[in-house]
Amino acid sequence: MIRICTILLSFLIIISCTNDKNINNKAEQENKKSESLTLYTHRHYDSDKMIFKKFEEQTGIKINVVKANADELIQKMELEADQSPADLLITVDAGRLVRAKNKNLLQAANSELLSKVVPQHLKDSENYWYGLTKRARVIVYSKEKVNPEELSTYEDLINEKWRNKLLIRSSNNIYNQSLMASIISNNGKDSAKLWANRIVKNFARSPKGNDRDQVKAILAGEGEIGIINTYYLGKLLNSKDSCEIAAGESVGVFFPNQNDRGTHINISGIGVAKHSLNKDNAVKFIEYLVTKEVQEVFAKANYEYPVNPEAITSDLLKSWGEFKEDQLSLTKLGELNKEAVIIFDEVKWP
Amino acid sequence: MVLKIKHLKRDFNKSSLLIVIISLLLAIPVFAILISLFKETGEMWEHITSYFLIDYIQNSIILLLGSGIICFVIGTSSAWVVSRYKFKGRKIIEWLLFMPLAIPSYIVAYSYVGLFGYGGSFIKFINYLGFNSIDNIEMMNIYGLVWVLSFSLYPYVYASTRLIFQSYPTRLKDTASLLGASKNKYFFKIALPLASPAIIGGLFLVFMEVLNDYGAAKYYGINTFTTGIFRTWTALEDLQSSIYLSAILVVLVFVLVLIVKWLRGRRSYNLKTYNSNDQDENYRKDLKGLKKIIFLTIVFVPVLFGFLFPFLQLIIWGLQTFESIFNSELLNIGIQTLFLGLSTSIITVFLATSLIYLSKWNYLKQLNITSKLATLGYVIPGAIIGIGVIKSSHSITEYFSTYHNIKIGYIIYNSILVLIYAYVFRFIAVAFNSIESNTLKLSKSLSEASNLLGFGKIKTFFKIDFPLIKNALLTSFILVFIDVIKELPLTLILKPYNLSTLAIKAYEYAEDERVAEAALPALFLIFIIGSMISVVNYRFKLNK
Repeated sequence: MIRICTILLSFLIIISCTNDKNINNKAEQENKKSESLTLYTHRHYDSDKMIFKKFEEQTGIKINVVKANADELIQKMELEADQSPADLLITVDAGRLVRAKNKNLLQAANSELLSKVVPQHLKDSENYWYGLTKRARVIVYSKEKVNPEELSTYEDLINEKWRNKLLIRSSNNIYNQSLMASIISNNGKDSAKLWANRIVKNFARSPKGNDRDQVKAILAGEGEIGIINTYYLGKLLNSKDSCEIAAGESVGVFFPNQNDRGTHINISGIGVAKHSLNKDNAVKFIEYLVTKEVQEVFAKANYEYPVNPEAITSDLLKSWGEFKEDQLSLTKLGELNKEAVIIFDEVKWP
Repeated sequence: MVLKIKHLKRDFNKSSLLIVIISLLLAIPVFAILISLFKETGEMWEHITSYFLIDYIQNSIILLLGSGIICFVIGTSSAWVVSRYKFKGRKIIEWLLFMPLAIPSYIVAYSYVGLFGYGGSFIKFINYLGFNSIDNIEMMNIYGLVWVLSFSLYPYVYASTRLIFQSYPTRLKDTASLLGASKNKYFFKIALPLASPAIIGGLFLVFMEVLNDYGAAKYYGINTFTTGIFRTWTALEDLQSSIYLSAILVVLVFVLVLIVKWLRGRRSYNLKTYNSNDQDENYRKDLKGLKKIIFLTIVFVPVLFGFLFPFLQLIIWGLQTFESIFNSELLNIGIQTLFLGLSTSIITVFLATSLIYLSKWNYLKQLNITSKLATLGYVIPGAIIGIGVIKSSHSITEYFSTYHNIKIGYIIYNSILVLIYAYVFRFIAVAFNSIESNTLKLSKSLSEASNLLGFGKIKTFFKIDFPLIKNALLTSFILVFIDVIKELPLTLILKPYNLSTLAIKAYEYAEDERVAEAALPALFLIFIIGSMISVVNYRFKLNK
């Protein structure tokens, strides 16, 4: 038995060594030619991998991916300074990109194509970063118990009629933080605090779980309305579990604030690292990511809204209907993020 | 004074030097963090103390007390039953009792909601049986979190206590009963106190894991000291204060370690002889009647809640998503994980053993405290260690680029060495505690006799001590191995881009709220850990 194990182990070692060598050699060669890009990303979707692979095939530029939380990646880039291997930074919210820019970790990437394709409010005013996809934070309601005509705005959710009926996750979540930041920016700090205070009173339960769990709790009758990101609903509806599909089907999507500023959106976005040695390729990569084809993959595989207006969204996204989006500068979300968290703590939103 | 210096000079030897060097090297990140105690706190400090710190500390204390008590009860009782009694399937139960360690606790947290939440598998099952009134058993609160953490962490107590219980000679029990002690009295007055170093060692690991848990607490919406550290860093954008919080945590744990050491005092826990005839299979007793039922429940309940329930849920999810998730890349990642785990655990166990023996051979006992410093990594949240480690490697690259004009940053930041160093720093406590509690059992006279008979220290170690602590070394090897391949935050931030682990793969899906898809990598992880434990169990006769 020991012998068998030893043989097996040494066999495995050989396999893994040869594998590593291959990878290392390739990486070295390509590094010399500077034909590779190192990507620090907070996105970890399988569809992204397909998109990167296609880029490698088309251009011969290899994509090395380091996946971690944006905060950690930013910290890493800051400490690595001018010797950082990073060429690009991708985050799943605008606030982190703003933070990276303010910490002097990004550089301007000017491109005619990009300024044409990406709408003004979805990119940095100095072209330090660009949005790749949009996520809308919407109200979902129980089709059985709630008449959508009763819903109107985020502000209206503090109404007494929603007492003990509202479901939303913890304030540790970045999407809640940026929603709060947008409310501070639109309504002012005092009114935002008042809003948060009364929202807490309407909680159906202490915030817990993720966005999907809020929808499940609506089906179970623990609450009647919830605040979630659209693409999580897309994932619920396409789940392998029949209960999850049932939960997804039991709720309707309502885009709030259609008669005034529009529904709050956030982006997943990308910027070129300040110390990147491959800026041209990096810009080429961003341009590739906003092409119509790639944007449609984002919409179909991950249920995100494309930033390229030409891209056709998936049938599911179409079924929720067109909506007016809040044109608030996304930079504001980054700037007010901390303010938002301070308010959360003050009103004891866990 | 002069006498003291003379003594210093007399007692200082190679071991003293080595122990200082190794400990300091390992403790670099601790110092990087402790330094912040002498700097000013960040700008958000007032907000932190006035709004949430107290609440978060309260939650952490509830978690520590709750899971500490449950782990103590489950861990010691099940270890006692499997090491003292004979029953059918004992070997399998012994193995299964370890298995909760194989599932990362945040995955256990998710699978409990998958079982008992709305539309959960267990709920569907009891509805099918006719209990339609129940549609949800609420797990997502602090008691649920205590439950989940206790049942996934009790094996730390079980593992270290079982070894001690098995090493008791039958003579001990015989003497006790001859002197008139009842069975209960023997257990509570003799067996349990003798095992206290092991129990405390195990509980210490449990506490560290509870303090370090981030994923499960975040999902259940419970704010703890650790989630507070992250909130301060990421949401309040105040890294300085979050490192300050970590530093406070380090100091508190260091005080705890010292108290434990003080309580242990000069008491000796050795049982003098290790006569192998003393411990054959015959010492296990048969179980009968009501006692059998009770004792079997004692060992079966932890297996059921700690392993079988979450495992079952993972299998259900794994089957649902098998087609889309299973591919050759996953296998490749599995192999990478295995080798990362093996190499790191060997290095860690080696270093931990050297630290323990170097402090035995060193006569300047004041220096031994530095070896304790080296074992503090376990308590610091992984992501903060990550920053500490990057900071330390940053100074190395700085040195090279300023003095030698060589830019090695691109290589260092993408190399596996930094990751392995960080693992060793983080997990050396795991090996250290379980080996140390076992070396405490060894009588000093053994090695002294060997020395007198002409063996040097190294030779004595290999001829005398090594065979006696082999089991402890293997156990700690497994514990470190399991910890390494489950590790998340450090791996995420420090890994080179061409490397991935199963834990990371599972985390990526879970983070994206695709928990069912995370099941397959998690199951693969369980498989690797399970086979590792059984190979070591049966090949190396860990039981005897």
